[in-house]
Amino acid sequence: MSNEIKTQVVVLGAGPGGYSAAFRAADLGLDVVLVESRETLGGVCLNVGCIPSKALLHVAKVIDDAAEMASHGVTFGKPEIDLDKIRSWKESVIGQLTGGLGGMSKARKVKTVTGYGKFTSDKSIEVEGADGKTTITFDNAIIAAGSSVIDLPFIPNDDPRVIDSTGALELKDVPEEMLVLGGGIIGLEMGTVYNALGSNVSVVEFADQLVPAADKDIVQIYTKYNKKKFNMMLSTKVVAVDAKDDGLYVTFEGKNAPEGQVRYDKILVAVGRKPNGHLVAADKAGVNVDERGFINVSKELRTNVPHIFAIGDVVGQPMLAHKAVHEAHVAAEVISGKKHEFDPRCIPSIAYTDPEMAWVGVTEREAKEQGLNIEVANFPWAASGRAIASARTEGKTKMIFEKETGRVLGGAIVGINAGEMLGEICLAVEMGADAEDVGLTIHAHPTLNESIGLAAEIFEGSITDLPNAKAVKKKK
Amino acid sequence: MSDIQQILVPDVGGDEVEVIEICFSVGDTLEADEGIVTVETDKASMDIPAPMAGELVSLDVNVGDKIKEGDVIGTLRQAQGETTDSAAAPEEAPKAETPPSVEISAPVETPASAPAAGGSEVVDVIVPDIGDDGQVDVIDVLVSVGDEIAEEDGLITLETDKATMDVPSSHAGIVKEVLVAVGDKVGQGSLVIKLETNSGAPAAIEQPAAPVAAPAPEAPVASQVPVAKAAPVPHHPHAGDFKAVGKVYSSPSIRRLAREFGVDLTLVKGSGRKGRVLKEDVQSYVKYELSRPKANAGSSVASGEGGLQVVAGKSIDFSKFGEIETKELTRIQKISGPFLHRSWVTIPHVTQFDEADITDLEAFRKEQNVIAEKQKLGFKITPLVFIMKAVADALRTYPVFNSSLSEDGESLILKKYIHVGVAVDTPNGLVVPVVRDVDKKGIYELSKELLEISKKARDGKLKATDMQGGCFTISSLGGIGGTAFTPIVNSPEVGILGVSKSEMKPKWNGKDFEPRLMLPLSMSYDHRVIDGALAARFTVHLAQVLSDLRKLIL
Repeated sequence: MSNEIKTQVVVLGAGPGGYSAAFRAADLGLDVVLVESRETLGGVCLNVGCIPSKALLHVAKVIDDAAEMASHGVTFGKPEIDLDKIRSWKESVIGQLTGGLGGMSKARKVKTVTGYGKFTSDKSIEVEGADGKTTITFDNAIIAAGSSVIDLPFIPNDDPRVIDSTGALELKDVPEEMLVLGGGIIGLEMGTVYNALGSNVSVVEFADQLVPAADKDIVQIYTKYNKKKFNMMLSTKVVAVDAKDDGLYVTFEGKNAPEGQVRYDKILVAVGRKPNGHLVAADKAGVNVDERGFINVSKELRTNVPHIFAIGDVVGQPMLAHKAVHEAHVAAEVISGKKHEFDPRCIPSIAYTDPEMAWVGVTEREAKEQGLNIEVANFPWAASGRAIASARTEGKTKMIFEKETGRVLGGAIVGINAGEMLGEICLAVEMGADAEDVGLTIHAHPTLNESIGLAAEIFEGSITDLPNAKAVKKKK
Repeated sequence: MSDIQQILVPDVGGDEVEVIEICFSVGDTLEADEGIVTVETDKASMDIPAPMAGELVSLDVNVGDKIKEGDVIGTLRQAQGETTDSAAAPEEAPKAETPPSVEISAPVETPASAPAAGGSEVVDVIVPDIGDDGQVDVIDVLVSVGDEIAEEDGLITLETDKATMDVPSSHAGIVKEVLVAVGDKVGQGSLVIKLETNSGAPAAIEQPAAPVAAPAPEAPVASQVPVAKAAPVPHHPHAGDFKAVGKVYSSPSIRRLAREFGVDLTLVKGSGRKGRVLKEDVQSYVKYELSRPKANAGSSVASGEGGLQVVAGKSIDFSKFGEIETKELTRIQKISGPFLHRSWVTIPHVTQFDEADITDLEAFRKEQNVIAEKQKLGFKITPLVFIMKAVADALRTYPVFNSSLSEDGESLILKKYIHVGVAVDTPNGLVVPVVRDVDKKGIYELSKELLEISKKARDGKLKATDMQGGCFTISSLGGIGGTAFTPIVNSPEVGILGVSKSEMKPKWNGKDFEPRLMLPLSMSYDHRVIDGALAARFTVHLAQVLSDLRKLIL
């Protein structure tokens, strides 16, 4: 069976970028066809990424919090883990969201074609689906093909005991000994889940710091808090994995490498993601894809072929859903004739670990690299009533200001709920707010969030919740 | 004791005039009223005469300078023996015209902490990331060699396909060399200027090497530098780059608004708190840009009250079709062109045609010329003089023709004097000297004056004041030929009479055809001021006066 569809806009991929582009274009009055290889919309994020991992992290947090309560006078029994039930709850979370997307897609009259879409020319795409081929001819295309996990060559990837983030989220079992290969956000989030469920988790990272993109002082707080939870091997790499019947025997090399082979029940490979630019036959449409698989785009998200756009992971770092969504809106709006551009001042990053790490705008390291004249204000959560009352005083809030103007250039938070607090700093950077603006905004007390206002007060020299280094010196 | 006097620019009948020629050099001796420099006004060129005889001591203007009434051209030492009533002219005449002293007194009490080794160094200032990969046009150069500039001051203005933007200076200092010119194309990294930075504090002592560059000591830097309108070009992050730290202080919604209008926010001055760019700032910037006359608009009327939206002409290579020669327009053509164009497009023209029977007038004129010759008066009476008298009479009868519209177009300014302009064809182009008080002068007097003024016009000796104050213009082509034409009203006048070649025509006198000498009249007028019926009456009146000169004394 063969179908032919003609449309104004075809969107390749229905992740957060793809469905946002499709919905936005439809809302702007365009005919839209959305092509997706999965049965459900939502892409990696909803199906095997952001959302299911958050469901499992919620489970982990309750387990950890319950155990923590023993020292505050409430003792719970040892948790009984029913993996099947956890898994089906996670699935229901996914189902609720993807189902919602399907409904919204129908309401917007966005036609969905299931199957793998590939360009056949700069005006047509062929979709290979379960019920045959569909040929879509289009006026405009938006490539939102996303990214996939990077495999390592020296790892027995076929062994079922070697998993990636998708495999980890399947939650088949709780291994006794688990090695997380890669100390980035994904590895640490999954490590947190398996640790709470009972695994002994080791993390190996080639760099000398976990989550290398974040500032050192932020990560150090995380590392210190989790020293007992994880066996961390920094500045170390895996050189060989020997798959035996009783386990995976791993050989390490580097500063913190253990002697000889170490046996693990499971290895989670979380060393990053690669763009899917090569998977859509973009060359047939004349779209340039670089050797790594990225597609270069203008600020309007146009590829070198003016009526073909690309958004999301496939156009570059950071590979984040919220970046893709904003790019998606711009691409759809440009197609509909609006003069918009993707021109943000900042894109936030969050590690949903325990404690959470969140940062936006310039980091301290980037500011130094760029030669910016900055002043940093740190508010330690040891001085926060809310943090003390929650028994989580390890955190801190850091704000980075332009020294001369006080303009907020960036900020980072480590601590519980850091991710939820970051939005205020994003808004401050995007609006060009300065320390005075933030400091004069009344933050509710007691909250963790008020630490942002207090950090601004440190810069302003008006802080009273801490010793004030900028106080007027009295003559004796 | 010598008597030195300043030479001041007299009333040149305009705001500013350009010096196009210097006739003498310092040390030359010149007679009173001899032209020292030649200037060009919007109507003609004229000499600025020496106020007295003497020796030219200094000359402070150059060809190309713009000068206006009261400016000092130079100084003159009065010739020996000649006395003038201005003998008491102050002797400090050449003050202020000498270049400012380059000496800068470096204060001895300069803080010792200032690094003496600092000194100055020459840095290259290049075009930063302008958000455009290609080459863009330089449409303005804002600095010149010797300028003292502050960091972030605009150096050149670029025009991209989206907007215009200024390239800011990366350093403060003194411009040593300007390496781009208007019309050049530049891209990221192109060299703009070489700048001598005053990095160390008191570098002034070693500076006399560059006298031009030395700032006038009394002028503090701050007051020299215009309010910097140019912030640095914003950094546009490419997709995925989240390190962007733009210096334009505005929220995302304003940045989007600016993009939609193609506004370069670095050029918009923020009126919000701490210089934040607000929506209103973008709107007023757009309004300002739209109302601003654009360079090369092609017509002087494009600005102000609504430009003409005309399609630009295609450039045509005429040499494809045959041999060509390119010849520059004369100065007068270049100057008068825009004025004619303005009159043509801003005045609603109507031309009224009529004929005057000048058979009797011509008979009378010829008789008088015979007498004039006998009396050796030295001039001939031309038909034009009679036409001038007739026009003066018609203007008195129909005062609306002797008027101008007020600037706001709300009222009419009626003139109680009758000065008539006469278009004169000269080798350099058309000029219109004005004969004053035509109504009060006799035919002889007018004939004499017309002869003089025409000669002056042909010799290029008309003064600006000779061409000012006209109420109405006569353009006579009668000596050449033609039956009628449509003259362009000489704004701000409201009427112009075109005169073509007179011709014997058979005229019906009631019984038979009689040969009569008929003079074709073409009277163009400003229809905003004059109705058609009135114009017809005016023209008929003219024709009747010319037909029967006795009507002049009625």
